[in-house]
Amino acid sequence: MSAAIEMRALAKSYGKTRALDGVDLSVPEGSVFGFLGPNGAGKTTAIKIITGLARPTSGEARVFGREVTSATNEVRALIGFLPDVPGYYPWMTAEEFLRLSGKLFGLGGRVLDTRVSALLEMAGLDGARQRIGGFSRGMKQRLGIAQALINAPRLLLLDEPTSALDPMGRKSVLDMIAALSGTTTVFFSTHILGDVERVCDRVTILDHGRIVRHASIGELKREGHASRFLIEVERGAEDIETTLAAQHWVAECRRDGQLLRCVVSDVSAARLSIPAVVAEARVPLIRMLEEEPTLEDVFVELVGGG
Amino acid sequence: MSGFAAFFGKELTEIVRTWRLYVLPGIMLFFGLASPIIAEVTPGLIASAARAEGTGIVIEVPPATTVDAYVQWGANAGEVALLALIIIAAGAIAGERTGGTAQMVLAKPVSRTAMLVAKLLSTWLLLGVSTIVSVVACIGVTAVVFDTSHVPRFLAVAALWYLLACMLAAATVTLSVLFRSQTGAAAAGVAVYIMMPIVSLWEPARDHSPAGLIGLGHRLLAGTEDALVFWPVVTGLAAIAGLTAFACWAFGRQDL
Repeated sequence: MSAAIEMRALAKSYGKTRALDGVDLSVPEGSVFGFLGPNGAGKTTAIKIITGLARPTSGEARVFGREVTSATNEVRALIGFLPDVPGYYPWMTAEEFLRLSGKLFGLGGRVLDTRVSALLEMAGLDGARQRIGGFSRGMKQRLGIAQALINAPRLLLLDEPTSALDPMGRKSVLDMIAALSGTTTVFFSTHILGDVERVCDRVTILDHGRIVRHASIGELKREGHASRFLIEVERGAEDIETTLAAQHWVAECRRDGQLLRCVVSDVSAARLSIPAVVAEARVPLIRMLEEEPTLEDVFVELVGGG
Repeated sequence: MSGFAAFFGKELTEIVRTWRLYVLPGIMLFFGLASPIIAEVTPGLIASAARAEGTGIVIEVPPATTVDAYVQWGANAGEVALLALIIIAAGAIAGERTGGTAQMVLAKPVSRTAMLVAKLLSTWLLLGVSTIVSVVACIGVTAVVFDTSHVPRFLAVAALWYLLACMLAAATVTLSVLFRSQTGAAAAGVAVYIMMPIVSLWEPARDHSPAGLIGLGHRLLAGTEDALVFWPVVTGLAAIAGLTAFACWAFGRQDL
């Protein structure tokens, strides 16, 4: 599979601050790719370089094999882009903004008419007659995705598309992204881990301008070192808490009433020993659940936030 | 200049659909209509003010003439309208950048030169239409209040004023590229505007640089024989071209 985006030793400095520090990355064509990192990790800088809005200090970035600094308009013609804070002309309507966006790509006539109608409907804005200045944040975000699709892009760059949206707005935007899977390469920057788990095939985690991990969602979760066990008993949780906490394979054990949450370093040992500890203490067991590590656990482990 | 036509069309629509349609043309129309009337009533106002002081001093104020009406137009347009123009032009690029629309537009196949030239051309067009409306109104009211003499000379004065205004617009749009905020660009634009008459006090600069444009209309109307037009006009046009080229170069190198 060919690469939609390739970065080779990409670096960007703002004065003494190194926003990107030798990033190597390859995004397969057709994937929904999560670009994950805490605020200030360098995600927006990387996207700005891909779109030609910023220049790299060193290294190179290619979009479908074309170098972004030398083939700027040729590259932009293939890209749809939604910035983290999309700006609009408040005096325009959604339809007028989509028409302007299409004309800037050189579209016109029936092609533009058809795409504008379809995208307004997809974004749920086909009935919106008011000016963009009166739109809610969610409406602006949906319009942002619609304008990014006006040129039927081969690559869609979305910078934090769901941040600051309410749950319904997030769901609506994620549904739109999920619907594009397989037809358009989606490069999706975010710090919201649940969104990545829901729509992305692969993920790269960026921290302090460097890539700290690059894998599929499944691989990342499988590589999570710690697993959690949830044990609920009818009575006597305090008795087994002490016993469990003393086991060498238990990293942490917390009790909340008759509910115990244990983080373990050896899953096999935990599976064998927890029922034995409960039985030996003659405590009635209600349930025992093994929780697989979430992307959040892996993320915190990798970027050192926990 | 990829994307120029679409973006220029958006600029023209924005003028028609927002406050920009009313501010500059409104100011210019007002001064076009009011300048001859202000010129007509000013001598009477001065005389009556002197009488009211009761000092016994008699001030002989000659009656206003057609030339006074056109000089009044130059004074009014040269102050309020140029300041309004500076404020409008200061937002050209800085406003697009701070509003986030520059990112939205320039991530598409639109060159930064196309955006900047569309901004300048639309500003000059708005200025041109405003000037024509104002000049026609001024000539009409002057014909009613005074007479129709000196019209060709007034048209030359208006053309020189237009050139000066276009140059100030180019300077302010350039500052709008260099400054991150509209306020900063406007303040720097006003500073340029204030510096021009000071520079023109030096005779070689007045006669051979764009700074000479600032008082040239007045001197032409007054019939000053040594009023040199050629070099201020040529250097003014060169300044417009140079500022535009520099602004395009600087904008092209910026991170957005």
